[in-house]
Amino acid sequence: MTEPPGIRYYDLRQVNGQSTHIDIDKGVIESAGTVFFNKAVIRVLGPKGWGVLQLDNYHHEPGRKFDELLGSALKLATVADDTVNLGEGPRNLRHVPPVKEDCRDVDIEEKAVLLLAIEKAADLPLVTSRRANYLERIENVRFIDSSGSEYLYEICRSGFSVMAVASRNGTVQMGYEPDHTIRGFNLRHREEMGIKAAQTAIALLDAHAAKGGKMHAILDPELAGVFAHEAVGHASEGDLIEEGNSVLKGRIGEKIGDARLTIVDDPSLHEFGFEPVDAEGISADRTEIISAGKVNAFLHNRQTLAAVGNGLAGHARAMPGEPPLVRMSNTFIETGDATDEEIFSECKEGIYLVGSRGGQVDPGRGVFQFNAEYGYLIEHGERTQMVRDVSLSGEILTTLHGISLCGKKRVMHSGYCGKGGQSVPVSDGAPLMFLCDAVVGGSGVD
Amino acid sequence: MRWWVAVAWIEDLFKEGEKRVEELEVYCFSGTSVSADLKQRHVSLCSSSVESGLCIRTIDKGKIGSSSTNDPDQWQTCLNAAIAGGKLATPQEWRGLPDPVTLPSTNLTYDPLIVVEPATAQALLDGMLEGATAYPDAMVTSGGAAISVGEITFANSHGARYTSRHSDVSISLEAISGQSTGYEFDNACVHGRVNPYQVGEQAAFFASRSAGGRDVPSGEYDVILSPMAYADLLSGIFVPALNGRNVLQGRSKLAGKIGESVTSPLVSMFDDPHMKDVSGSTWFDAEGTPTRRLDFVKDGILNGFAYDLKTAYKAGKQSTGSAVRGGFAGLPAIGHHNFVVDGKREDVLDEPAIYIHSVVGAHTANPLSGDFSVEMSNPFWVKDGALAEPVRGAMLTGNFFDLQYQVTALGKESRAVGSFIVPPVKFNKVRVIGK
Repeated sequence: MTEPPGIRYYDLRQVNGQSTHIDIDKGVIESAGTVFFNKAVIRVLGPKGWGVLQLDNYHHEPGRKFDELLGSALKLATVADDTVNLGEGPRNLRHVPPVKEDCRDVDIEEKAVLLLAIEKAADLPLVTSRRANYLERIENVRFIDSSGSEYLYEICRSGFSVMAVASRNGTVQMGYEPDHTIRGFNLRHREEMGIKAAQTAIALLDAHAAKGGKMHAILDPELAGVFAHEAVGHASEGDLIEEGNSVLKGRIGEKIGDARLTIVDDPSLHEFGFEPVDAEGISADRTEIISAGKVNAFLHNRQTLAAVGNGLAGHARAMPGEPPLVRMSNTFIETGDATDEEIFSECKEGIYLVGSRGGQVDPGRGVFQFNAEYGYLIEHGERTQMVRDVSLSGEILTTLHGISLCGKKRVMHSGYCGKGGQSVPVSDGAPLMFLCDAVVGGSGVD
Repeated sequence: MRWWVAVAWIEDLFKEGEKRVEELEVYCFSGTSVSADLKQRHVSLCSSSVESGLCIRTIDKGKIGSSSTNDPDQWQTCLNAAIAGGKLATPQEWRGLPDPVTLPSTNLTYDPLIVVEPATAQALLDGMLEGATAYPDAMVTSGGAAISVGEITFANSHGARYTSRHSDVSISLEAISGQSTGYEFDNACVHGRVNPYQVGEQAAFFASRSAGGRDVPSGEYDVILSPMAYADLLSGIFVPALNGRNVLQGRSKLAGKIGESVTSPLVSMFDDPHMKDVSGSTWFDAEGTPTRRLDFVKDGILNGFAYDLKTAYKAGKQSTGSAVRGGFAGLPAIGHHNFVVDGKREDVLDEPAIYIHSVVGAHTANPLSGDFSVEMSNPFWVKDGALAEPVRGAMLTGNFFDLQYQVTALGKESRAVGSFIVPPVKFNKVRVIGK
């Protein structure tokens, strides 16, 4: 290849594919359809930074035409005035795990029938509204770079969500159950998800608003996973560290949590955030962000690894057609040795928080917030009254010291994470976790 | 017709489609953009994009199908997929796509002076960096400038043919001082309307001046939500309750309350799609219905909800021209164009209160019940008409529907935050949870 002079590195990431959706609202198939997409990103590293082309309907032809595109990207790169070097990482394309049943072998009519059954299962007394969605996305990825690496792979992510709304005397509450996976078609025999969404919505009609304040909290595995993601994961992203926008900057080796606490990100795990290779052609595996309570490593792309150090490249991810950003993949808190009984009895008085409605973090300030789906008061070590609309906020550098017990069984949950206008599939997980002196938010008053 | 630029494949699409389904529409988008990103005070990346796409919707005996693609050459595959999807859909009450009308020719959202060039982005970044030097202890961490132009073409089988052009300039900057962060942004569809110096200065101001905040004890306080904080909570909680589909399906707390008081009488809320030089403006909505002003709340009284065609037909109403799309690939759904909060304006900084620049976690609120608890960002005590002492982080909690009755004043200056044009709003007796 005779690419234009001045190019220190280039890569191309093209994603072709299609997504199919089914949307059901109160037993009615409101819409079903298919989106076809073909998006490419060409990145060129010039003397002082990146020039990037984002192209729709790209057809790759090595040779003069491609060289012209590299030239255009290089021209954009002349605007940059930064110092950029690239670190290295392992390169091998991991196999996409086999699926039990390929989504493409099931026709859309059958998918709709199965989804209707899940949605119908949510039709319990007091339920006034129901919705269910199915989404399947097949991506064919081509990655090439100037070092001669070339990777081609296909991955299918699919899943569904079901929501139920219950109302009584003007009180309206909601239950929501999603399940997204890379392990193949997951709509069969899942009516229990509809029932669970409905039962949550109905139970919440009798729940009281939580009273906010400082208290001990027990987080269920789903919410504790969100805690790992929001309170630690984002702040360990190498781009934020390089920009100086994270409280974890310069804290490698510093103890910021209990010795029993280890937090990991691992894109090689066969969970929803799995990537065969990252968006820069690097295949990192387990990165221990927090190891036995100490800051151990950051998540990096090639640029931030070279600039910051302490960690592995292989954490670059991108939506089709977008330039890669440093992102989490599968993030989790390692299991501990406490039984559920020990955790509840250690807590004595406090709140048990269940499920997640999402969260957010300001990594520079080191402050995070996230919301549980619901909770229960803990009185004398026992779970008692149900409460609704409970959130938790805290400061990264102090809150982790409060995690004093972790359970024995870890559960992972799938979802999507937003950053810089891009949404990518991730999973979070943790065991049951005890957090001392949590700041709990709720609108209840005495 | 001046609003129509003939595209050969679109006529072929209708010829082919009309043989197979009763009605169809196509929504096409094409555009280019340039953006540049800062890493601290250096430009680290400059990007250029060329986008295209189309979305076909077919309706046959009340069954609606849809499909979209990046590639106009693939319209036949896309049409087949839309028809296949439609066969699966449940038949719905349907009274037809809109007939063509003559729309005003004034361009609402396009400025030919906006030039999609890296140099434009660079000048905007330079302006923000200069503004940020006003507070030397604040370090710039990241920022960006993006310039784009695009064209939307809409056509349906009733003969409606509309095009509109859009331009946009967006800038943002983040700064930090110690562990205190500041963020500011600006956006406009007209050249010279964004103020990069002020964005830089404000981001640095909030980073610099929020440092060293003191704890606030838990309790009830008078609170002023900045336009950014107010728009964030409004869009996550109140606006979904004005959506006709949520009203129809029992997912809106405002259902059945038309004619009743739902906010303080100081507050009016409406969608004004015809504001000149405002980004959300348009003469036609995402399914070709002519747009109009829609009053949601008049002096505190609930006046109406937003409908698209499908929901209006089901509910026995008229479409309010409120269909929007999230990108070309998105199906039309109920939304708004320019959501305005208005009413009598006052000085909101005249009495002691906590001013909140932004909130963390608004999207985690409960949109059905309205209950929320969010973390404050950049809160300040207000004294003598200005932001005085910073407050250390605390949580703000309550029920956003109930809170609407506690509005005591709307501030003098509205600003655009995404598709919202809102003032700072003062509330009394809002619950704060200290640390």
